[in-house]
Amino acid sequence: MSRVPVRPAALGATALAAALVLAGCSAGGGSSNSSSGGPTKTLVVDNTFDLKTSDPARAFELTGSIVDKAIYETALTFQGDDTTKPLPQLATFKESSDNKVLTLTLNGKHAFSSGNPVTIDDIVWSYKRVQAIAGNPSFLLTDQSTGKNLDIAKTSSTTMTITDTNPNPALPFILPNPSLGVLDSKVLTKHGGTTTKSDGAEQYLNGHSAGSGPYALTSYSATTKVVFGPNPHYVGSKPTYGRVVLQNVTGPSQKIDVQGNQAQIATGLNAQQVQGIGSSLKVLKSTSPDVGYLWLNQNPTYGKGVTNNAAFVTAVRKGLNYQDILAVAGTGSSQPGGMVPSQFLGSIKPDATNTYDASAAKAALTKAGYKGQTVTLSYPTDATLSGVEFSTLAQKVQSQLEAVGVKVKLAGTPISTLLDAYRAGKLQAGIMYWGPDFPDPSDYTTFSPGEALGLRAGWAASMSPEVTKAKQAAEASTGTGRAAAYEAWQRAANQNGPFVPLLQPARYFVTASSVTDVKPNAVWTVDLAAIK
Amino acid sequence: MTQLDERAETAARASRPGGRLSSPLVRYIAIRLVVSLLLLVGVTIVTFVLTNLVPASPVTAALGERASSDPKIVAAFKAAQGLDKPLPVQYAIYLGHLLQGNLGTSIQTHDAVTQDLAAAFPATVELALFVIVLSVIIGLGLGLIAALRHNRLPDQIIRVVSLLGISVPTFWLAVAVYFLFFFVLHWAPGSGRLDPADTPPPTVTGLFTVDALLAGQPAVFFDALSHLVLPGLVLTLYTVGLLVRFARSAILDVLSQDYVRAARAKGLPGGQVVFRYVLRGALLPILTIVGLAFGSLLSGTVLTEQVFAWGGIGQYAFRAATALDLPAVLGVGLIVGVVYIATNFVIDVIYGVVDPRVRVG
Repeated sequence: MSRVPVRPAALGATALAAALVLAGCSAGGGSSNSSSGGPTKTLVVDNTFDLKTSDPARAFELTGSIVDKAIYETALTFQGDDTTKPLPQLATFKESSDNKVLTLTLNGKHAFSSGNPVTIDDIVWSYKRVQAIAGNPSFLLTDQSTGKNLDIAKTSSTTMTITDTNPNPALPFILPNPSLGVLDSKVLTKHGGTTTKSDGAEQYLNGHSAGSGPYALTSYSATTKVVFGPNPHYVGSKPTYGRVVLQNVTGPSQKIDVQGNQAQIATGLNAQQVQGIGSSLKVLKSTSPDVGYLWLNQNPTYGKGVTNNAAFVTAVRKGLNYQDILAVAGTGSSQPGGMVPSQFLGSIKPDATNTYDASAAKAALTKAGYKGQTVTLSYPTDATLSGVEFSTLAQKVQSQLEAVGVKVKLAGTPISTLLDAYRAGKLQAGIMYWGPDFPDPSDYTTFSPGEALGLRAGWAASMSPEVTKAKQAAEASTGTGRAAAYEAWQRAANQNGPFVPLLQPARYFVTASSVTDVKPNAVWTVDLAAIK
Repeated sequence: MTQLDERAETAARASRPGGRLSSPLVRYIAIRLVVSLLLLVGVTIVTFVLTNLVPASPVTAALGERASSDPKIVAAFKAAQGLDKPLPVQYAIYLGHLLQGNLGTSIQTHDAVTQDLAAAFPATVELALFVIVLSVIIGLGLGLIAALRHNRLPDQIIRVVSLLGISVPTFWLAVAVYFLFFFVLHWAPGSGRLDPADTPPPTVTGLFTVDALLAGQPAVFFDALSHLVLPGLVLTLYTVGLLVRFARSAILDVLSQDYVRAARAKGLPGGQVVFRYVLRGALLPILTIVGLAFGSLLSGTVLTEQVFAWGGIGQYAFRAATALDLPAVLGVGLIVGVVYIATNFVIDVIYGVVDPRVRVG
């Protein structure tokens, strides 16, 4: 082909120059650093969103709890990261001697962002709305054993009662949940809010604040960012930051954001990502209240005569090298002794039942009559345990069990498909996690024979009477005897049950050096208003 | 029919009342519109069936551990989402709502899907427009250089660069580019569509750059423009890689045509030959690939949007799919279908404008 007499280099240069001028113009315009200049101090917090709504009565996600904690006050609260002691916020509380009646008394004067005062009617209305909507958090105000709604009643202009038919000593630990945030009933009723299942205030609440918390919503998007401004009528200490941006960013980008001061706090980094993050940043390490556990199905149909063998369960417990698993999960992770996380009342330390002993594991396998059958281990492929990949944990479990002679086949599936089979109790074995609904050991008795989580592992009500008895004793316990009762229940479950607690992963917050008072909390992750 | 006969027929059509283009083009557009509508119905059926074939329940995906164990809550959720009805009835209800412009309520965001799409789609459109403009300029330029310098050093370099653009994994490139230009060099702003300290302009189009100009906010305009650069660069590298290869090939074809040789033989200047004859002749295949690339960009670029926290249709689709948010998945499926159908339609119309033979056909 002959050459066309044209100047292609000049032509290309023109095209490139045009593109670069366009890019150059735009690149020059923005600022690479946002944060805290100007009259209003802005705090940018990176979070990987699971946000669905900011309506407290419908929200029960981690991001939702951060949002609602900032906007709404609750009757009771916790201080900082201490979830062992409920404290008054909108109300003081008193429990009856039988733990069936909790009396709330209005605690001083509080005001909603509308300027309306918080009344006892607002608290009653908000709780009844939670019950009526029957959303994710409605179980917080139901009796755990009967499933019936707790009775909520106004008893005077400043007092109300919450009554359960069974002792409910966990209630003071449940009420600080941001899902039980108190709403401005006068404003809400004008925007479709009711205490019936036909409530239509959610859309309003996803764009406006109706709370008495330190912040009010400036803008809201469940997929990109939530921006908060001050609540002018908040009666507590004024937050340090006049504007907070909570934005949806994935883990790797969070790291770059916080390194480049695009964000001042990153909440979604794992152990690997915080390594070498830089000395100009602070890494706050705490233990996550999430418990990763392994289960072995006790239903003969799904256990296939292998996992539903008590000696086989013992072999697995003894065959796992827990310290090795913690090493995979990264520094800061710890081994819980039972299903109750280490930071809650009634937690236990690991004992002989869940300590690595290869020879004991092999002996138990012989006792079980194990003949080399393959055990299928299911796990979610698209979820992490505070940043720790389930596939990594599953591979580690597989290699450890194969070292003592158990054949394991890994079966990773997306969590949305895994959950169906898991909840139906049809999986032979697997790895999953449980995050706390409220910081009380009674949240964990569901890991008992015949209970919801127990049944997922084929652990029928009749199977381990000693565990059932210990669980009933724990649930009936009150006062100082509760811790010992829940400890006894977990020891019984470790002796006889199909659940093997593996780890509580570390949780990392990375912050700019200028940021202080970031306190990880098991209930609401982090209190934005407390950050300085 | 000879070429002369065709010209005569064309002239006869043009002389008839109704104008030169109207009858064949209008008929063509009408047929395409009907086909497009049928395609859209097909898209809804396929998406609906596929999302319901997934071996998982949206109830399980949406409700928490406690709530999913409570029959009362599960029943309330199913009733609210219409999941308590047989599948054909669910589809009929969906279609009925669709005709009224109602795509249902997202399980993930609890907002109307139309509202979610209205928020996410402009973000993707803005990015896609930025990328396609840059890509066409650069891709066409480089493709032209490569063709004119066929088998010489510039051609080899451009081919390697375009191959790299296509081959480098987007997720890696996006993180690497973000790290380098934002954190190391400080040449570009961070993630998102605006600086976190900035407030978006009043919404008119949803395109922050346009809305900022309409609102007379130049600082916000430049901020929005600067945030387009890094995600735009990542996507442009890929799109340019694609365009260069097609442009080069199409231009090489045209360069060997008789009429180009004739133009050169007549002594026309090189630039005139290239711009008047070569580029025009190569335009149709290039238009096709530009259309497809634009459609692809408009359908969402999941990985790039994830890394840059862009909040576009790709990020929305990803979250909807992983959470089994059926109304949102259906909404995204529909909008992607509309995008491709509309893009193809526009390209076909441009064909007609660029090449008279298409009009006649």
